[in-house]
Amino acid sequence: MILGRVVGQVWAARRDPRLARAKLLVVRPHGLYEPAFAARHLVATDDVDAGVGDDVVVCLGAPARASAGGNDMPVDAAILGVVDRVDFVPPDQLAAPGAAPGIRRKLEVRR
Amino acid sequence: MFLGRVVGRLWAARQADGLGGRKLLLVRPETVRGESERLVVAVDGLSAGPGDRVIVAHGSRVRDLTVGETVADKDIVVAIVDGAALEPAT
Repeated sequence: MILGRVVGQVWAARRDPRLARAKLLVVRPHGLYEPAFAARHLVATDDVDAGVGDDVVVCLGAPARASAGGNDMPVDAAILGVVDRVDFVPPDQLAAPGAAPGIRRKLEVRR
Repeated sequence: MFLGRVVGRLWAARQADGLGGRKLLLVRPETVRGESERLVVAVDGLSAGPGDRVIVAHGSRVRDLTVGETVADKDIVVAIVDGAALEPAT
């Protein structure tokens, strides 16, 4: 799943009939995620009544189809939840890979 | 799924049986700052054409459900966009 923010809604009259009742929202992922084709956005179905400006979690792939209304939905992304709060540890405070639990070491950035 | 603009159509005299003469569209995905430099070759599941703004879904399951299991492409046009309300990029 990925974390992103809803930035818009899309309307389409001509669409696959199975998508007829789907609400389609545009989500801009927060950092850390590089969607395919450098599109830097996602169109996802919404069943949880998210709106523009909400932070949401988006699921990709088969579980997204299950959430969107069944395995016969031609979608690959679905909004599964509206985020109320995120506690985020800045990268420079993350434990280094392989470090013992509880030890936080500053990551070296190699260029 | 992603938003993109159909920028052209692709023809190929010699193609794999899997493509079976399907209509192939060149789609340029939208980005925060305009349109991507990359192109995606998508199979048309509706009747989209150059100039249309479309939603492209990806995956074998999507392919199976829309254009059939035998088609050798996993990017499928599933909607033609009439309008979109998007917040400006920050």
